[in-house]
Amino acid sequence: MTIPTSSHPVSGNSKKPFWHILTSVRLAISLFILLAITSIIGTLIPQGESLHLYLEKYGPSMFQVIKVARLHDMYNSWWFIALLLLFAVNLVACTINRFPIISQLYKKDTSLQAVERLLKMPHSFVLSLPSAASFSKEDVNKILPAPVLSYDVENGRLFFKESGKWSYWGVYILHTSILIILAGALIGAIWGFKGQIMLAEGEKVSEAVERFTGKDFPLGFELYCEKFFVDFYDTGAPKEFRSDLVIFESGKEVLRKSIRVNEPLSYHGLTFYQSSYDAMPLITFTITSADGKKKVLSLPVSEKISWQEAGLSVGVMQFLPNIHGGQAAHVWIGDDGFPPEAIWFLKGAEKEFRRGNNIYKASITDVEQRYMTGLQVKKDPGVWVVWLGCAGMLLGFGVVFWVAHRRIWLWVGERNGRPTLILAGRTNKNNMQFERFFDEMEQKIRTMTGVKI
Amino acid sequence: MIFTSSYLLSLTTFIYLGAAVLYLIAWVFRVEKVGLLGTFATGIGFLAQTAGILLRWVESYQMGYGHAPLSNLYESLVFFSWMTILVYLFLEFRLKNRVIGVFSTPFASLAMAYASFSPNVHDEIQPLIPALKSNWLIAHVVTCFLGYSSFAIACGMGLMYLMKSKDYTTGLLSRLPSQKNLDELMHQTIFFGFLWLSVGIITGAVWANEAWGTYWSWDPKETWSLITWFVYAIALHARFVRGWMGKKIAYLSIIGFISVIFTYFGVNFLLSGLHSYGAPR
Repeated sequence: MTIPTSSHPVSGNSKKPFWHILTSVRLAISLFILLAITSIIGTLIPQGESLHLYLEKYGPSMFQVIKVARLHDMYNSWWFIALLLLFAVNLVACTINRFPIISQLYKKDTSLQAVERLLKMPHSFVLSLPSAASFSKEDVNKILPAPVLSYDVENGRLFFKESGKWSYWGVYILHTSILIILAGALIGAIWGFKGQIMLAEGEKVSEAVERFTGKDFPLGFELYCEKFFVDFYDTGAPKEFRSDLVIFESGKEVLRKSIRVNEPLSYHGLTFYQSSYDAMPLITFTITSADGKKKVLSLPVSEKISWQEAGLSVGVMQFLPNIHGGQAAHVWIGDDGFPPEAIWFLKGAEKEFRRGNNIYKASITDVEQRYMTGLQVKKDPGVWVVWLGCAGMLLGFGVVFWVAHRRIWLWVGERNGRPTLILAGRTNKNNMQFERFFDEMEQKIRTMTGVKI
Repeated sequence: MIFTSSYLLSLTTFIYLGAAVLYLIAWVFRVEKVGLLGTFATGIGFLAQTAGILLRWVESYQMGYGHAPLSNLYESLVFFSWMTILVYLFLEFRLKNRVIGVFSTPFASLAMAYASFSPNVHDEIQPLIPALKSNWLIAHVVTCFLGYSSFAIACGMGLMYLMKSKDYTTGLLSRLPSQKNLDELMHQTIFFGFLWLSVGIITGAVWANEAWGTYWSWDPKETWSLITWFVYAIALHARFVRGWMGKKIAYLSIIGFISVIFTYFGVNFLLSGLHSYGAPR
């Protein structure tokens, strides 16, 4: 089927060249090609890396091109978004422009046709009947079940039946659904939020870091990571990543859930996804003062803990998991009024240090792995709009693909002085299927009238 | 020995190859009976392959992994081949024409040969990585490959159409379906593939939203599937609205399938991204 294009002067649009371009399928096809080609660029140049990497990889002149055209973040660049917007505008314009055409096509009554026209239909056959009465009204109903339109036409009676006329609107369902998907994406881009959280076991957060701006985003509640698990197959491939999360609101536990890669947690419009993990050493440091007081401190790298009784703080500046066959930490000591100092400790080996008149003995007594879970945080109020669009798209496909406008005319009367039956039909799509349908009808009529070929 | 999945599946390669040869002989020498043998061979191959796929599924449970055989390049190639034969057999049944077999079974056989004999493709059963542990895996892969297979056959029809357009009235080409029928068939197959590609993209989006929190992230695989979608959208719109027929659509069908191949393999081999589990190791 070919739908008439906008070049038909339906409402005098041809006088407005700008509108004419906007409504043209030529523009739609050009946009398909442009979007396809530009999308290829984005798959060839890695996206979202830091700028200096592009300078290293592509050289200074190519780097200028990349920077100016924003090829490093192409799908978010103004010109790519503009292309998508133009695509949406083109779709809206085409929809508006073709509305009267489709509407006409839908309203147009084609039931009444001259006998000569019937014979020129894509599908037709003529049968000479033994007598005009040998094909009764009931016979007609067997071929074309009621309701059937009928007219007196040229010494005979014309019967007409059609189906699937509404399918002309199918393409509207399809195109509108694409606009709905784009609208959903826009809603997500404006009111949505994407962020990340790195959360160590046993810790709480109330903020996420926005992915692009790096700014803090308040969650409105507290998220606590009770435990993180990682499990491997015998082959070494990862089997499961799991975070046991608890949500606290004003200090009270309100929700508890274990999340995995395909099982996120949703709360108050925010969804938390398991996306990565990190393991960091937790160093246990034991200090004994000269008067026999003992303190056990556990801390990760680049954190500081105070031993208040002694008025002393300890921090781990650096950790080496394997030096001379053992683990070692560079430990900072200070906050007691004396100049801070840094000492290397090998795990298990006790060392002495002096702060003023106090002498301390200290050693690393334990090092364990402490996990941090990497969570993706998302808020996307547009996602349901996108799904609605997707559902509409599938419905539209169904209609466009399977529902055809089928028309059948049956004329019984006298032609050239002989009782004659003419069956004619046309369809706007799925022609081969219709041909079979038409042939079956022909066979049925031949059997009914007893007329063999 | 016979009842292991890898044996059955590598056997399928040769059965499909045999079927392709039989279809070719039937076409070239006009022997209807050989064509019937071709259909028979394709049917047997399809049964063996189905058994192989099911057996592989069972074997994965025996190994303690327990997942549908749709998780890596080898399994996807086997499935692509299986799906292509399924779509082809449906068409043969509907159209009562075996010539399309000459242009369809080779795709299935090639995919199997590549899966079974390329050193790049590893056929051992691997456990599922966490990202793939989802009910969407089957829906996503099945719909995408229904699309890919339809496009493979539409490409075969495009080739037939271009051969036919030499306009010989006698000889080999006269046994191809008429140009009018081929044109319509190609159009319908493209539309069918387009529908399933769309469903595949949608199920992928739903899944990605569940696993990573974004339904669309311009990952190379996603982007290339969209590019493919655009190519076939051009073919459909050019026909619906501008009335393009025949040759032009045949060329678009071939270009579209090249894009499918790149989406399928090129992205895995040449570009990196979220779909890297489909890559050869």
